[in-house]
Amino acid sequence: MARKLPAAEDQSRAPGFSRRNFLKTAGVGAAASTVVGVGGACTKEPTVIGPDATTLRLRVNGTTQTVTVEPRVTLLNALRNELDLTGAKEVCNRGACGGCTVLLDGDPIKACMMLAADAEGHEITTVEGLGSPDEMSPLQKAFVEADALQCGFCTPGFVVSGTALLAKNPDPTLDEIKDGLAGNLCRCGTYSRIFEAVQKTARRG
Amino acid sequence: MPQEDKAQEPSVTFKVKAGLPSDPQEMEVHAAEGDLKPWDLESLPGFQHMGKPYPRFDGPLKVTGRARYTYDIKLPGMLYGRMVGATIPAGTIVSIDTTKAEALPGVKAVWSTESKKVRFAGQDVAAVAAVSPEVAMDAARLVEVTYEEKPFIHELRAAMEDGAPLVFTEGEAPGGEDQRVRGNVAGPRRGGRGNVAAGFAQAAATIESTYYLPVHTHSCLETHGVVAHWEGEQLTVYSSTQGVYATREGLAEALETDRKNVRVICEHMGGGFGSKLSPSATGSAFAMVACKLAKKAGAPVKLMLDRHQEQLCTGNAPSAQITVKIGAKKDGTLTAVEYTSYGSAGVAGGAGTAGPANTLYANNPNLKVEEYAVFTNTGPSAPLRAPGHSQGAFALESAMDELAEKLGIDPLELRKKNESSPIRAAEYDPGVKAIGWERRNKKAGDTPGPKKRGIGMANGNWYVFANPNVTVEVKIHRDGSVELFSGSQDIGTGFRTAMAVVAAEELGIAPTDITSHVGDTQYPQGPSSGGSVTTNSVAPAVRLAANEAKKKLFEVAAKALDADPGELKSEGGKVFVAADPARALSFKEAASKMPGEVIDCSADRKTQYETFRRDLAGTQFAEVEVDTETGEVRVLKMVSVNDCGFPVNSLTAKNQVIGAMIQGVSWALLEDRIVDPNVGTMVNPNLEAYKILSPKDMFEAESILVPQANLGNNTSVAGLGEPPIVPTLGAVANAIYNATGARLRELPMTPDRVLAALAEAEGRA
Repeated sequence: MARKLPAAEDQSRAPGFSRRNFLKTAGVGAAASTVVGVGGACTKEPTVIGPDATTLRLRVNGTTQTVTVEPRVTLLNALRNELDLTGAKEVCNRGACGGCTVLLDGDPIKACMMLAADAEGHEITTVEGLGSPDEMSPLQKAFVEADALQCGFCTPGFVVSGTALLAKNPDPTLDEIKDGLAGNLCRCGTYSRIFEAVQKTARRG
Repeated sequence: MPQEDKAQEPSVTFKVKAGLPSDPQEMEVHAAEGDLKPWDLESLPGFQHMGKPYPRFDGPLKVTGRARYTYDIKLPGMLYGRMVGATIPAGTIVSIDTTKAEALPGVKAVWSTESKKVRFAGQDVAAVAAVSPEVAMDAARLVEVTYEEKPFIHELRAAMEDGAPLVFTEGEAPGGEDQRVRGNVAGPRRGGRGNVAAGFAQAAATIESTYYLPVHTHSCLETHGVVAHWEGEQLTVYSSTQGVYATREGLAEALETDRKNVRVICEHMGGGFGSKLSPSATGSAFAMVACKLAKKAGAPVKLMLDRHQEQLCTGNAPSAQITVKIGAKKDGTLTAVEYTSYGSAGVAGGAGTAGPANTLYANNPNLKVEEYAVFTNTGPSAPLRAPGHSQGAFALESAMDELAEKLGIDPLELRKKNESSPIRAAEYDPGVKAIGWERRNKKAGDTPGPKKRGIGMANGNWYVFANPNVTVEVKIHRDGSVELFSGSQDIGTGFRTAMAVVAAEELGIAPTDITSHVGDTQYPQGPSSGGSVTTNSVAPAVRLAANEAKKKLFEVAAKALDADPGELKSEGGKVFVAADPARALSFKEAASKMPGEVIDCSADRKTQYETFRRDLAGTQFAEVEVDTETGEVRVLKMVSVNDCGFPVNSLTAKNQVIGAMIQGVSWALLEDRIVDPNVGTMVNPNLEAYKILSPKDMFEAESILVPQANLGNNTSVAGLGEPPIVPTLGAVANAIYNATGARLRELPMTPDRVLAALAEAEGRA
C-alpha cells in the first residue's frame, strides 16, 4: 500500500503555491498543533518532513499501521487511499459537513482538516472501528432499526458524532442531540430519524 | 415518459375495487395478456408484508462504513483523475497548453476539449490522471488556458432586460428550431383551457402577484464520479448514477463501442435527486473523459468531481419569476387562473416551472399557462426532485392563500371548495388533526410579543409515470434461498428492500429471506431512477417473476403433498393446501424437492393500464415561529399527507416524505446559488455558504400515508420520491404569513427579506 513518489521537478512557476513552502508550513503547523494541545504534550523540537513521501505510524482502530505518504496528505486521504478505510467520506473538504468525522483520542474531528502527519501519536477511531455488519454497536443497530439513513453517505459521520456525543452525555435531551450533531449535514433529510436512533440508544443505556 | 391508459390488444379484463378503503369504487382494468389480477382493495387486508415497516437491507453496511460507493472503489494500479473547468462565464478558448501538466512526474494521461466556445464557468476544459489525488491537483493547476472573454449575463431577471448580452446567437439555443427566441427569452410553451377573460369577468375578487425563486443546486453528498477500468475492449464503469443502463448507452455511444462491451455498476450511491440521470452530468462529460484517460494511461482511473465542480456543472433547478392571477366567486369557487412563468435553466432548455398549475384545481374552467425559458451564462439545470413543481406550487399556493385572505375565507376551506381529487379531499382531515389547524391565528399576525407563531398549508401533486421496459429475474435455489435481480439502482430510496417485500408477498416468505441484487447492467434491464418511476416500474415485474417461480415450486410441492398445484398456497414460509393447511411443507422442504438445482424465472413488465387517479395527491401543513425583531424563521412542525397507491415499505416510504419536507424547508429558508455579477462565477460553490438545513434547524416532521388502490399495474404501487416536496415551499410561506401578516414572495425567506416584508406589512396596516 505504501508507495514512494518521485520528487516534483521545478514547480516554482506553478500558480497558487510552492510545494516546498507548503511543507515547511505543514511542519510548523504540526508543532503549533501540539502547542494548542490537540492531543497531549509534545516535547520534541518541530521537525520539517518531506518534500518526498515519508513514513508515518498511525494508531487506527486499536492497531498501529504504517503509511508512506507525502506530508501534505490529509488524515482522510491516508485512511481512505492508503489504509482502505473508506467509511469516512470527503463531501465538502472544508470542514463544513462532518462527512469525514473520525474520533481522535475520543473526540470527533474532521479528517479532511487534519494532516495525516499531525495524527501521529494519537488514537484514531473510524466508523469501521465502532462495529461491523455482524456486530454492530448499539447506536449503529439503532440507526438501522429507525431507518436513520437514506443514501447513507453522511451516515458514517453521524454515527461517529453520535457515538462521541453519547460517550460524553449518556442521556442527552433532544436539544443536546441537535447540538452534538450540529457539525454534520445530511442531504436526503434523515435528521429526525437520527435523533430517534440516538435517543433510543441512550434509553437502552 | 410513457403512460398507457390501456394495454395493447390482446388484453384481459379485471374487475377490481379501486380507490380509498373508505370509499371503494368498482373499476374495470384492461391488462396485457399474461398479467396477474392486480392487488386491489380486497387484497389490502390480507397483505402479509406489503405496507409494513422493514429496515433497509443495506443498513448494516452503511452504518458501519462497509458499503462501497463509487467514491470508495479502489482497484490495483488505479489512477486519480481530475477535471479542469473554465474560469470565465463566456468567451472563446484560444489555447489549452497541457505540456507542463504532462511533464509533471506521476501524471499518466491528459485530456483537453476540442470545443472552443465557453458559455458558463465550470464548463469542461481539460483533465488529468495521476498517481495520487494530490499530484492530480498539482497537474490540474499546471494546465494553462488562454481565453478571449465576452460579455456575459448571470441572472434571470437581468437576462430578460433589453440589451443584455446574448447567451446564444441565432439558431444555437437549445429547445428545438420551432421555438420563438427573442433576446435570451424562448417560448412561450402554452397550456390551459376555457377563456380566462370571461372567467375574470365573473370573478367577485381577483388577486395578482409575482413570485421569485433562485437557483437551488442538488448538492448530492457524493459528488458525481466514476471509476473506469478497461480490460482489452471490455470496459467496466463504477458510477454514482441514477441510471446504470442510461450510463452504459451514453458511454457506448460516446466511445463508439458496442453496449455489450460496457458494464456499469452502482451498488450504493450517495444522492442524486435528478442530477445523476445523464451518463456524466448535464454540464460535464467527465465519465466519458475518465474512460478516455483510463484507455490512454492503460490503468483504471477514478475521477470524482470536487465540491466546487459539483456546484458548477452537475445541474441545478431553474430559478423562476412567476406571475399568478386568480379570480374567484364570493364563495371561493375559482373562475379563472392565469399563470406566467419565466424560468432559467442556465445554458440549457427545459426551464418549465408551471408545474402543478395545469392539473391542480382541475375544476376551474378557465386556465391560461405560459412558460418561458430564459438563458443565462450559468451551468445547465438538471431535473431536481419534481422538476418545475416546487417552484410552480410555491407561486400557485401562495396566490391561493392571498386569494383566501382577500375573500375572507379560511385557506383550507378555499382549497376544499375547489378540490378536484377525491384522494386529496380525504387527506385534509388527517393533516388538519395532526397540525392542530384550529390553533392558527384567525387574523394573521394577531399574537402578542416579538416571536410570532403561525400555521399554513399548501397542496401539491405529481403523476403516475411508469417505464415498461423492465425485466426482473427471481431464483429459488434448491436449498430454499431466494435471489432477486434488477438492473435498476438503489439511490437511497430503499428500492432493493422494497422489491424484496413485493417478492416476499407473492412467495409467502419473509422479505429478509430474499437477497436483492441491483444496480448492475449484468442484471436484467431496469429504468433510470427519475420521475418517481422505479418502484412502480419494477415492482409489477418482480411480482410476475416471483409468481412464475412460485408456480414452478407449487408443481414440485404438489406431488409431495399429493395435491393439485392449483390447490396450493404459500404464506408464512410454508407451502400448503389452501383448503387443508395441515397438509404443508416448509418453503425450504418444497424447494428441496425440485428436480434441478434452481428455479430461475424472468418476467417482463406488462403494459401500464388504467389508474384510479393519474395524479398523486398531497397536502402539507407547517407551523413556524418568526422572530419579528431579527427576521429569523424557525419551522416548528410539518405534516405531510400523501398518496402513493399501496405503500410497499412504510418505514422507508415515510423516510422519503420526511426527507422531502426537510429538503423543501432548506430551499424555502436557506438555499440560494449566488453568482457574482462582475465576474460571472458562483460565489458560494461549497456547503458552508451554500447553506443546507442542518440538525440544529430540524423541526418535528410527521408523514401520514393514505393507502389507496390506484391500479395501473398488478401491484397498485406508485412512486413517492418527488410528490412530498411539491407543497413545502408554499406551506412555509403561508405559515409565515399567518404568523406575521407579512407576505414573502421571494425565496429564500432569509431574515433580511422577512424584515422587509414585515416593514411592508406594517406600512400597509
